[in-house]
Amino acid sequence: MSRNNLVVIGVSTGGPLTLKALFAGLPPLNAAFLVVLHITPQMDYRIAQGLAGVASMPVVLAQDGQYLRRGNIYLAPGGFHLKLDGNQRVVLCEGARVNYVQPAVDVTMLSLTRQLSGAMIGIVLTGMGKDGAEGIRHIKQMGGVTMAQDQQSSTIYGMPKAAVQTGAVDFVLPPNRIAGKLVELLEAIT
Amino acid sequence: MSNRIMIVDDNEYVRGSVDIICESAELDLTSAASGAECLERLESGFRGVILMDIMMPEMDGWYTIREIVSRGLYPGNIIVMLTGMGEPDCKMEGLQEYVSDYMTKPFGPDQLIESLQYYLTLLSTVRNHE
Repeated sequence: MSRNNLVVIGVSTGGPLTLKALFAGLPPLNAAFLVVLHITPQMDYRIAQGLAGVASMPVVLAQDGQYLRRGNIYLAPGGFHLKLDGNQRVVLCEGARVNYVQPAVDVTMLSLTRQLSGAMIGIVLTGMGKDGAEGIRHIKQMGGVTMAQDQQSSTIYGMPKAAVQTGAVDFVLPPNRIAGKLVELLEAIT
Repeated sequence: MSNRIMIVDDNEYVRGSVDIICESAELDLTSAASGAECLERLESGFRGVILMDIMMPEMDGWYTIREIVSRGLYPGNIIVMLTGMGEPDCKMEGLQEYVSDYMTKPFGPDQLIESLQYYLTLLSTVRNHE
């Protein structure tokens, strides 16, 4: 698989513990991971540090102008929307809330374009509301693989449910099986 | 840095249960029987993990969070909602960024302790310039 693999994860309430469980089960993989968690600027760094404590890959807060690199996990900072230019370069934007939140998952996912090479994977995890549903539909239309957390394991099934209801979700799974599916779809970095 | 927990619930039994659980894990707990008491504790300097009941008389959990945010008392805290109901309604809209977790009562002691310890770890992390 190409080195330009990209995984975008959208998540809200229940996210800190769900992300901890997901990344604790992942080996270093041949993809850049971008996490959009509904979070305030006061908490974003702490969440990133918490994930760094359990993840096998480095975790950083995404910075404006930064290029995503495989084998790294990037957390969207609070107080901005995050778009990806060319599916690789981080663009942090101010502006109105979308789906009542900032950062919004839909803003990030809808900024993605068809991958010229490599896989694009979109995942929506636990959270209230419907943020991420339009983004998942878009990723599917761009030829990506899509996943949503299942109801039983979700703290709040709102966001995954809205994503599933688009009909554009390939896999509905609990976090440990999402991790397994990612391992199946992406090559390990040795 | 804080290592404290606050339970905000008008139900004395729930407050007592959380007290026993926290004591068993040697976690420092303070109790508030209403949203107003929660705000008083925060105004007095409490920072830590707030376990917030949703259904309370006069000032419910959502209203209390809006007050916490509007008074500038959110930084340094993590908020976990406690509910006897299923999934939240639209009252949560716009508050997602402030609510880290959502636990349905009754919850197991192990689940609560594990969650609280992780959140306390997060709160103990500070940026260099903080």
